[in-house]
This record gives sequence, C-alpha cells and structure tokens, in this order.
Amino acid sequence: MSFLDIDKLSAFYGKAQALHEVSLQVQEGEIVAIVGANGAGKSTLLDSVMGLTKTGGVIRLGDQVLTGRSSSEIVKLGVGYAPERFNLFPYMTVRDNLLVGAYTARDDIAHNLDMVHKLFPRLEEREHQETSTQSGGERQMVSLGRALMTSPRVLLVDEPTIGLAPKVCLEIAEVLRRLQREFGVTIVITEQNANFALSLAERLYVLESGHVTASGTVEELRDDPRLAEAYFGH
Amino acid sequence: MLQILIQGLLLSGLYALLAMGFTLIFSIGRVLNLAYGSYLLIGGYVYFQFSQVMGMPKLAGVALAAIVGVVMGIAKFRLIVKPLKGDHVAVEISTLILAVVLQAAVVLVFGDSSKILLPIIPGVKWLAGTAIPYSNLFAAIASWLILIGLYLFVRTTHTGRAMQAVSMDPKGAAISGIDSDRVNMITWAISGALGAVAGVFFASYTQLYPGMWVGPLIIAVAVVIVGGIGSIIGTLIVAHIVGFMEVIVSAWIAPELRGVFTMLLIIVVLVARPRGLFGREEL
Ligand SMILES: Nc1ncnc2c1ncn2[C@@H]1O[C@H](COP(=O)(O)OP(=O)(O)O)[C@@H](O)[C@H]1O
Ligand SMILES: [Mg+2]
Repeated sequence: MSFLDIDKLSAFYGKAQALHEVSLQVQEGEIVAIVGANGAGKSTLLDSVMGLTKTGGVIRLGDQVLTGRSSSEIVKLGVGYAPERFNLFPYMTVRDNLLVGAYTARDDIAHNLDMVHKLFPRLEEREHQETSTQSGGERQMVSLGRALMTSPRVLLVDEPTIGLAPKVCLEIAEVLRRLQREFGVTIVITEQNANFALSLAERLYVLESGHVTASGTVEELRDDPRLAEAYFGH
Repeated sequence: MLQILIQGLLLSGLYALLAMGFTLIFSIGRVLNLAYGSYLLIGGYVYFQFSQVMGMPKLAGVALAAIVGVVMGIAKFRLIVKPLKGDHVAVEISTLILAVVLQAAVVLVFGDSSKILLPIIPGVKWLAGTAIPYSNLFAAIASWLILIGLYLFVRTTHTGRAMQAVSMDPKGAAISGIDSDRVNMITWAISGALGAVAGVFFASYTQLYPGMWVGPLIIAVAVVIVGGIGSIIGTLIVAHIVGFMEVIVSAWIAPELRGVFTMLLIIVVLVARPRGLFGREEL
C-alpha cells in the first residue's frame, strides 16, 4: 500500500466540478509532481488533501483516512502545505510566521526551527522582518518553512517556482531535494513548468481539466506528447 | 490645561479597554458585534447586584461580571455567529436586536431608573486643582494593566499568535493546524470579559441605566472606524483621540455635545478615509 493514497477524488465549487475521480499514489520518501496547465485543478487537488474543499472519494495517509476531517486534524496527522499564494501573515515577523506553523507541533519547535534555518539561512538573518515587506522568493521560503514547522510526514508544495527568478527556482529545488534526502520528507509538488518537474521529481502525474491523463516515471514521460500538451495547455 | 491632560488620560485608558473587546471581534471576523454594548450593560448590573445589593467584595463583583461576560461571549458565538456562518449583515442585525432585548430584560429585572454605583475605591485625590476620584484612577490603571496583559498574550502565546493568524489570513491559519472555530470562541470569550469589566468602570464613571449600552457602542464603533481594522496599538491611539476630544469638547464647548462630536468624527473619517487612519489588517 502506498503512503499517500488518493482514490477517485472529485472536488466541487458549488455545482461546478473541478476534479473528476482523480487517483494518485505516493510512496514514502518519494518526490512526485503533478503537472498541468493553468486551471487544470492542481491547487484544488492540494486544497482537497487539506480538507479545504467539498469532495467525494477517499484520501489516506498511512493507515489514517483524511477525508472528512478538519484541516487542523489533517495537519496534526502529518500533512504540511505550502500553497500557491503562500497565505502568510503579512504583519507578523518571519519568526512569528514560523511559530504559527508550530501550533500543533509545539514539542518540536527547537528541532524544526533548526532545520528551517539550516535550509534557509536567510530566514534566520531576516527573522524580525515582517513578511509584507519581503520579496517573492523570501515569502516562498517562509511558506515552506512554516509548513515544515508542522512536522509534516508529507509536504505539499503548490507551484514552488511560480513568479520566481530562475536562480531562486534552483535554490528551492535544491532545498526540496535536501528535504527528501536528509530529512526523509515525502514531497508532492504541482507545476506548470514541466522542465522543473522533470528535473526534480521521480514520478509525474499529468492533470488536464480535472482528469489525470497520464502518469509514470520521468523516463517514461519525458517525451510523452501528453506532457507537452498539458504544459502548453493546448 | 493640566486638568484636561489628566482627565483625558484617565478617560482614554477606559475607552481603550472598552473599545478593545470590540476591535478584537472585528479584526478576527470582520463583523461588527452590535450587541457589544450589552456586555457593558450586563457587566455593570452584575457588579451592582453582587457587590452593591448583596454586599460581596467589590473585586469579586468585578470578577463575576467578567465571568458573565465570558459566558455571554461564548453563547453569542455559538448561538448566533456560528450558525450564521459568514453572513455579516445577518450577524449585525441579530446582535443589534439582541442588545435591545437585553435592555428590556434589564428593565424587567432592575427597573427603569438609573442607579449610582458606589466607587470601587472611595475617596478623591487632588492634583493640579482637579479632583480625581480614586475609582477613576483605579479604572484607568486597571484598564492599562489589562491591555498590557492582552498585548503580551496576543504577541507571545500560541493562542494569541493563532488569533493574529486567523485575523490576517484564515486559510494560512487553517493550514497551520489552527482550528479557527476554537480561536474565534476564545476571542469572543475575551471580548465579553473586556466589555463586562469596562462596563463596571464605565458605569462608575457615569451611571448605571438600561440604555447605557448605546454610548459605549458608539465609542467602540468610532475607534474601529477611525483606527481601521483593529490593531491593539491602533486602538490605543484612537481611544486617546476620542477620549481627549470628548474631554476638550466638554471643557471648552458643552458637556452635552461630547457624544455628538464622536459621531461626527465617525462620519468625517468614513467620508475622508474609508479604511481608517491606520488601515492595516493586524491585531
Ligand atoms: N474558489 C473557487 N470557486 C470556484 N471555482 C474555482 C475556485 N477555485 C478554482 N476554481 C475553478 O476550478 C478549476 C481548477 O482551478 P485550480 O485548482 O485553481 O487550477 P490550477 O491550480 O491548476 O491552476 C478552474 O476551472 C477554476 O476556475
Ligand atoms: Mg493553482
């Protein structure tokens, strides 16, 4: 059995259906990417894992069912989330943003803060800066850091590179690899940028208009036309 | 001049306490709790009943008022705000009706006439030719201590940071593992306690009567509107603007007009700066 198991997930905004029976498996310790054009349903998929949308289907993490639980329970069960628009607390300092992340993981604060500062030394230098005054790259770091403060077993990252300079993208990619290698975190990212996904992930899923249209390892999908199609959003 | 300074400081400390419970709710739920004045009303009468009628120690009366405020706050959240999830207009109408109903209940139990609260600490201190009742001094100092405590709570505890988080970005709070219902309920409880204690102090400044929820509500609304979305520091500053304005109007123009100027201030700021003078969304 897989570690994170999404089984026939459908998601709805009112009557509009944004996801259609999406099934997806992630093994412990893997990096998996979900690739799709704008509007394909990537953010909806990650929001649904967090219990933030109206859904049908079943989501499991380890031996726990996540479906039907509140976001705060899902965080406690080990899902960390760095969302697309970061959703940081703009008038709080970097440090306080990180400490909010520790709300359900108070015993791990010292350890997690140490990990975050090792991965992003910049956040330690800027710990008293309000996040409203930070650059996009720095906010992405705070967002990832806050998610790590929840002591996640699986980390969901929505479009980690969107709007960031190429140099910062490489930095973020390196951090995600280190998280997997050194800290054993399982990672799910979403991307429009198929090249970034191919360079980072071990396996990919292609999402188009709320349907999974292809899945496989990087080697299997590298030259698959469906990947290019999703990339360019037809 | 010194007289105005002293009276302004004393009154403003009380106004800051009074407004804080209201701004907390506004900043966390973006909703005006128009029944806020009834915490002051009920708080004042609880104190009157237990400390003055039944003769319990005065501080016990204040504590009981705070407890009743907590219970009222939680009840309002559970019975009105949560069922009306997200519908601000419905919450505002219901709370306004509730305030009127509570006023009627107070008339029924305690009668229509106003009551004079005995001072929490009797006696007067003369300073620069001004008589300062000890109980006003006590109210101002107690208000400041409570506000400092609240500030430290909000800035340094997990629950306090969670309150700020919910007020700044509810989704960000949810994905940090914060149960916003729980945080909301705690905030409503704190707001009720602040309002009820402010009610005891306010009633000893003026009088205790069934309509006394209106004046403080206007002051609280003024502070939120002039201050923008409720930050603690912004609330403190604006409470001083309103407090000093009232003292100055009373001294130089006419005591009867103090409330009128506060209302004019609301309208002027709404027209000139719709987001308030300190319009940032923090706690
Ligand atoms: N809050 C919302 N209300 C209604 N429809 C939404 C909402 N969020 C997303 N959608 C719709 O759901 C679909 C998937 O959106 P989204 O998950 O944001 O895609 P992606 O993240 O891949 O760009 C889109 O058609 C979008 O218009
Ligand atoms: Mg998206």
